[in-house]
Amino acid sequence: MSDDDKVQDPQRRDFLGKATAVVGGAGVAASCWPLISSMNPATDVLSKATTEVSLGAIAQGDAKTVSWQGKPVFIVHRTESQIRSMNNSPGGKDPQPDGERVLRPEWLVIVGVCTHLGCVPNRTAEGWTCPCHGSQYDLSGRILKGPAPRNLELPPYQFIADDKIIIGKA
Amino acid sequence: MSKHPVVQWIDRRFPFTAFFKHELTEYKVPRNLSYWWNFGFLAGFVLVLQVVSGVFLAMHYKPDAQLAFASIEHIMRDVNYGWLLRYMHSTGASAFFVVIYIHMARTLYYGSFRAPRELMWWSGQVLLLTLMATAFMGYLLPWGQMSYWGAQVITNLFRATPFIGDQVVVWLRGDFVVGDATLNRFFVLHFFFPFLIFGIVGLHLVALHFVRSSNPSGINLKDEDNISLHPYFTFKDLFGLGIFLLIFCGFVFFYPDFFIEPDNNIPADPLKTPPHITPEWYFLPFYAILRAIPDMLGGVVAMTLSILVFAAMPYLDRSQIPGGSRYRPFYRAMFWAFVVDLSVLTYVGAQPATDEMALVGRIATIIYFSLFMVLPIISKREEAWLFVRGLPQEVMAMIAGEKESDRRKRSMDRRKTERRQGEE
Amino acid sequence: MKKIISLTGGLLISLTALASETPPLLDVELQHDTATLRQGADVVLNVCAGCHSLHYLKYRDLLEVGFTQAEVDGLRGQLEVTATIAAMSPPDMLKETYGVVPPDLSLIAKARKGGGRYVYTLFNSFYQRPDGTVDNHLFPNIRMPDVLGVASMTDPAQKKEFQESMRKVAAFLEWAADPNAAERRGMGVYVLIYLFIITLLFWLMKRRIWSDVH
Repeated sequence: MSDDDKVQDPQRRDFLGKATAVVGGAGVAASCWPLISSMNPATDVLSKATTEVSLGAIAQGDAKTVSWQGKPVFIVHRTESQIRSMNNSPGGKDPQPDGERVLRPEWLVIVGVCTHLGCVPNRTAEGWTCPCHGSQYDLSGRILKGPAPRNLELPPYQFIADDKIIIGKA
Repeated sequence: MSKHPVVQWIDRRFPFTAFFKHELTEYKVPRNLSYWWNFGFLAGFVLVLQVVSGVFLAMHYKPDAQLAFASIEHIMRDVNYGWLLRYMHSTGASAFFVVIYIHMARTLYYGSFRAPRELMWWSGQVLLLTLMATAFMGYLLPWGQMSYWGAQVITNLFRATPFIGDQVVVWLRGDFVVGDATLNRFFVLHFFFPFLIFGIVGLHLVALHFVRSSNPSGINLKDEDNISLHPYFTFKDLFGLGIFLLIFCGFVFFYPDFFIEPDNNIPADPLKTPPHITPEWYFLPFYAILRAIPDMLGGVVAMTLSILVFAAMPYLDRSQIPGGSRYRPFYRAMFWAFVVDLSVLTYVGAQPATDEMALVGRIATIIYFSLFMVLPIISKREEAWLFVRGLPQEVMAMIAGEKESDRRKRSMDRRKTERRQGEE
Repeated sequence: MKKIISLTGGLLISLTALASETPPLLDVELQHDTATLRQGADVVLNVCAGCHSLHYLKYRDLLEVGFTQAEVDGLRGQLEVTATIAAMSPPDMLKETYGVVPPDLSLIAKARKGGGRYVYTLFNSFYQRPDGTVDNHLFPNIRMPDVLGVASMTDPAQKKEFQESMRKVAAFLEWAADPNAAERRGMGVYVLIYLFIITLLFWLMKRRIWSDVH
């Protein structure tokens, strides 16, 4: 080994030094992963990622609020006239046909979180009004007036029976 | 070598480069240190490991008597890598004591506690006590049967406090028995004590870098025999760390329940004591001493003394001969007798309290304290005997040198006082 | 000094001999493959769970030992997938019958020295006393009745079948107490291999750095 071959000399980094640095660095990085991962939702939280709802008890014209991943989800059993008026309306500032927002026209399933700043809108005869800044939504969850930029979000859901849906699984 | 502009900017405001130079690349360490000198660094590493795993565990743990046990199972079963965090932390507690006990044994064997390193020894002693308190309080947190009854028994020791014993116990627990209030405060203190530990470790290190490392020869090495901490000892420490981690991870991944009592997998039941309760292995010798003495106050005093007596070592060892066991056959024999005696006490502490065990425990306790008590006499006699028998030249030179500087200091002091008296 | 060493050493040896002996556990090899765990789970859920809860096990956990979603849904009925597995009989009634609430089984393999081997041995330790009453060698005066009638079992084929079944039960309870064991060991192998390599690298580095000292 020649005299200038010293590790503390940064000009002369050799294979062994590099290998040790890379392997050691990779080890430190890898051991951080369990720590980071432990802060992600635990499996019992994840298994609550879906919510089953039976629709049988909701009469026409009634609504029900259920909790899905901790967020309120509004389920409305719409009447014929409500469906018709929603079909005829293009929506407000974020236009979208009603047909794209439902799987079955009589059932509206939307996330009850205002797209403005996250408050939960209150039910009114024509739809919902957000108590925080007055955004108004129609019975398809579309924004009509107010500061909210977008329509109420649609959760992924599917019908597992005629009177039962599972939210969280498309 | 030109420095990075950012480093330059910092260096004008903060001794960044200077610090690393002074404490790492230009900090000199005796080249003859053996691998027994690795354990201080390892203790620091385990401390960091415990703090990191502990912080992440605390994000999921619930210090509530109704929820604690279940929250541990939640960590073990549901939290991503929760089992890894928990097993690292529970194994880490034992690893901490293994490392610290070896670190202390090395200090005792090589006489590293002697002048001028008394403050290192004493700050280490305080660290040991803080560590014991932290471990004890942490052990309650899983809220299993062993946790609960261990805490019940140990807090009851404070009943030995004269006059106000019962009140002290209730005050410590915040309840008449170990309960929700106890669990909550133990959790807070278990989280808080490591801050103290970090502070004392800081003092320990400042003292170390001031008096420098002792070395196996016991004599101060010539300048050229001291080499820089980095890269020589950093890499020696890293290699030692690798060996340590191999053993540690062997336990964590393959025998994680080795250090966990089966009874601690049963939730705490204040109405039912498990048939055979034992403290964690690292408390066993002291627990054996506690049980060896039939009187409650006496037992508590003896147990406390058995830990605090280490602090007296710099005064109990009166020999001028440096290097601990290296040149001193009697001291060495006493060291090993002490190790054997500790093993006996550990064994006794783990056994059910029978008459035979109590007798063995008592004999071992007497030996434990006598070894400390006879040390002043033996060390002095051994010194005289070794002076006659002859010691290596360097050792004699060092003793002569110490005497010389001692004498000079004393005569200077005398002259100062004379001058002061003259002025008056 | 030497005397003290030999004295304490001698004591240590004699003490080890004094240590009390519990009845030895049967030496049994437990397999933890999915099929075994599944069969063990069937026995535990159909027989043991009559009186014992499995409080730290959730219905969805059964998916990991080979249950299908439909089977789990059938078992849980109206309960959530995250519900824990309770005993079929109410604890109060059990306490009235047996004097104690039967212990929870989800951690039993960890809460007994010997783990699954303890469970297996316990089941094989029922015996009939001359007066016809049944007791257990491993756990004298046990309050659990000899549910499967081991003590009076005489047919060797039947006994063999019983032991086979208990092996699976013990394996399942070991899994229930430590469901991450397989993942842990698998990961441990890689960790140890990595540590071996990095330790070797550190050692080579250390040796080279120190080559100019001496």
